[in-house]
Amino acid sequence: MTEYFEVHERDGAARLGELRLETPRTTPALVGDLLEDSGSRWSADREMPTGDESALTVLPHRGFPGGTAEPVRESFAVDYPDVAFPSVAVVSSAGPANHGTDAYVVSDVQSVVGHGAALVEAVVRLREAIPSDTALIFSGVATPRNVALLAYAGVDAFDATRATVKGTQGKYLTTESEHFLEDLEELPCSCPACQGPREAFTRADCAEHNRNALAAELAVVRQRVRDGRIRDYIEGQARHDQWLTAAMRELDSQWSYLEERTPILREGDLDAATEDTLRRVEIQRFADRVTSRYRNRFDAPLVLVPCSARKPYSESQSHTQFHRAIQWRGHLVSMTSPIGVVPQELETTYPAQHYDTVVTGRWSADEKDFVARILERYLERNEYPYVVAHVPDEGYRDVVERVEAELDLDVTYTVDRDAHPTDDDSLGALSEALSGEPAYQKREREHNTVRALADYLLGDGAGDELFDSFQTTSRYPRLQVRESDETQLATMVPQYGTLSFTLEGARRWVESDAPTKRVQIDGFVPQGSVLAPGVVDADADIRVGDEVIVEGPRAFGIARAEMFGREMVESTRGVACEIRHVEEL
Amino acid sequence: MSQPTPEVYEQGKGMDAHNQVMRDIRSRKEKSYDPHQPTRVWLDEDNTPDGVKRSLTIILNTGGCRWARAGGCTMCGYVAESVDGGSVPHEALMDQIDVCLEHEAANADEPAPLIKIYTSGSFLDEREVGADSRRAIAETFGDRERIVLESLPDFVDREKLTDFTQYGLQTDVAVGLETATDRVRRDCVNKYFEFEDFEAACADAAAVDGAGVKAYLLMKPPFLTESEAIEDMVESVERCLAVEGCHTVSMNPCNVQRYTMVDELYFNGGYRPPWLWSVADVLERTADVDGIVVSDPVGHGTDRGAHNCGECDDLVQKAIKDFDLRQDPTVFEQVDCECKATWKVVLEHETGYNQPLTR
Repeated sequence: MTEYFEVHERDGAARLGELRLETPRTTPALVGDLLEDSGSRWSADREMPTGDESALTVLPHRGFPGGTAEPVRESFAVDYPDVAFPSVAVVSSAGPANHGTDAYVVSDVQSVVGHGAALVEAVVRLREAIPSDTALIFSGVATPRNVALLAYAGVDAFDATRATVKGTQGKYLTTESEHFLEDLEELPCSCPACQGPREAFTRADCAEHNRNALAAELAVVRQRVRDGRIRDYIEGQARHDQWLTAAMRELDSQWSYLEERTPILREGDLDAATEDTLRRVEIQRFADRVTSRYRNRFDAPLVLVPCSARKPYSESQSHTQFHRAIQWRGHLVSMTSPIGVVPQELETTYPAQHYDTVVTGRWSADEKDFVARILERYLERNEYPYVVAHVPDEGYRDVVERVEAELDLDVTYTVDRDAHPTDDDSLGALSEALSGEPAYQKREREHNTVRALADYLLGDGAGDELFDSFQTTSRYPRLQVRESDETQLATMVPQYGTLSFTLEGARRWVESDAPTKRVQIDGFVPQGSVLAPGVVDADADIRVGDEVIVEGPRAFGIARAEMFGREMVESTRGVACEIRHVEEL
Repeated sequence: MSQPTPEVYEQGKGMDAHNQVMRDIRSRKEKSYDPHQPTRVWLDEDNTPDGVKRSLTIILNTGGCRWARAGGCTMCGYVAESVDGGSVPHEALMDQIDVCLEHEAANADEPAPLIKIYTSGSFLDEREVGADSRRAIAETFGDRERIVLESLPDFVDREKLTDFTQYGLQTDVAVGLETATDRVRRDCVNKYFEFEDFEAACADAAAVDGAGVKAYLLMKPPFLTESEAIEDMVESVERCLAVEGCHTVSMNPCNVQRYTMVDELYFNGGYRPPWLWSVADVLERTADVDGIVVSDPVGHGTDRGAHNCGECDDLVQKAIKDFDLRQDPTVFEQVDCECKATWKVVLEHETGYNQPLTR
């Protein structure tokens, strides 16, 4: 049972939590002042503490530092009793277990911080062993430079011990470095400890500055998590120490850990400013869904065009000009780094509508490989009568030519070398390339968009299973999906390219063969939100932001997931999903 | 005598685990040693109840500690310095003594009044050093003033001590008690006897005229924090010197020896030897206890030995050595360094879930 910790928001593996003590504290945060150590059983037998709600009591423990062999860990393991106050168990990352406490502090933490692979392995093992709604605490290791990465990996709380130790050693810590105090001609900070003259700055001041810098960095981290933009920050900040960058990359290869925790949509933008962006879950997931779930339903030829800075693409000047030339005679697919390919129906989805990249026109080899691989997989799955590439030289054309050769295609290029796609000549060539093709109708366009969104959101084939017959009303991108004039099934949400179901839509979804995501609840009728204790079971593939069916003995409803599936089942606190519509059975 | 398979289930379980792991670690060592050569021999000066004396220290190669063959102590790598086959015959032992005497003759003007014999086991265990060898060695050194013999407490008896005292030799049994805290000795060091066994050995020695006990303590076995280690030592010094028959305590910081559990922890970032400040602190705090307290930090100033920041290690070591000879705690007032502030933070903040806080 977790009584004293609750996760309010998630951003990948990072969480914004709340220690529900006498004075609550928002995490990720420093909690050194809240930890009450009941002592180590290595040195003495310990009495069970009484504890209270003002502090996190670390129960009597035997800590196993890094390198403690398994037989020793097993035979000297202590039992943690159930207690009625906020409690912390000491666990080793080499063999963590669930002890029913509110938080866990890690005994071999000194051995895993400083090595990318070791850290990631440790955090993943810890997080998979302890319940999602418990706090993970790292003591004695946080610095202004590493704490963002640690929080990003999934650590909830820290203390300032290391910052203090470093200060006494004359090490001046910043988010970008560890300076020898004696080498600093001026203090690169304006915290209270750094206000006095440089000559008068002591190691005690240095320790105070280090703690201030750490606290400030944690405030940055909390805001980033609130904004859903911790990853964007990490991609830059982690550059300041090699092992932090290594840890970020190692975490990217822990796909199931990170994917499970990554929401399917965000309000915030996604910055694509580094090569590492290519490996983030949102990018990989989009590529995967476009090439394994989405299916083209148009008979028209494929027209490949470059992306635009303005999102959605159709609102950009360049794409407006492309449309004018194409006149709905081709199926428009935008090529872009780092997203890959974006079929016109999916232009509003996350993160196709939300990313912002660095535009120099120069593509790296990695970027070309990535986009070429996706285009190739896309073309293997989708057939077109022919392919028109309306793309400029920079990167785009290389990619198309590579795939053309690989799949033995015959692509028509409508932009001359050194010309621009919006040049009159280019646009003329594009129109010419499609001459004789019939234009498809608005109805087909809108129907295919709804089905494509269903494919993308729910799974391969979902668009056809779920939306065999229907009609659309209202204007794109705010389409309403209806069974008849009276019965609405779903609404397209233009900000995220998602479908919000009505109860009728939910019922149709449940009755169809499309893959569903279901949350089973106890015998109550939820109003507003379903709390985790009310969840009996939930599908493991539910992600934050997903549409989910809520079913129980007394209720049927449709909701938006606020936790991932396993978290809904494991948690004893917090909102599992927000109800959209519900009916009493 | 408590055994590796005692009634208390939990205790046996931990000991089995320690032994299993230590056996595994030790098995990686391949070296073996010539039974006709002592492991080490050197000349030095030592503080004794009769004042500071020149000493000849002999590490006798006796085939090694029996307990270590079962697994043994978590910090002790000396077992690896044993001979193949496990036992050394009388003639070979006497060859080793001859080598030591030659060393002394070559390097000192006169014979040392103090002889110290260690075996990395128990000199008084007749399975290690037979009665014939023991008596021959007693005779060899019978003309000296004082002799120190390493042994576990269970092998101490009046008759064996009389072999030495009969020559007028002051005879001290050096007992590797490690700590007066049974829990720490058992769970952190993995030593199987208890404080009451030490008390019994002291009583046996006290009953022999001219015999006494020198207790060897280990500062900071694995799994203890810096502050726990200091408190454990202060209490241990006080308790040892309160036992009749125990007149000297040698309190030694743990160092990281190869092929030990401590080495595995150290290698993985899970162990740091104690600070020299901690050694000085214990000596200072126990200075007014009745009895001699000395310390010999092996490998001081290195990563594997007791160390401070690298700047002040030699100075603090010098103060410790000075204290060993003069027992005057004011020497520690004369050493200071900026790293003392770091050490104080470590004492205050190091816990079982963040150690070691520094390298």
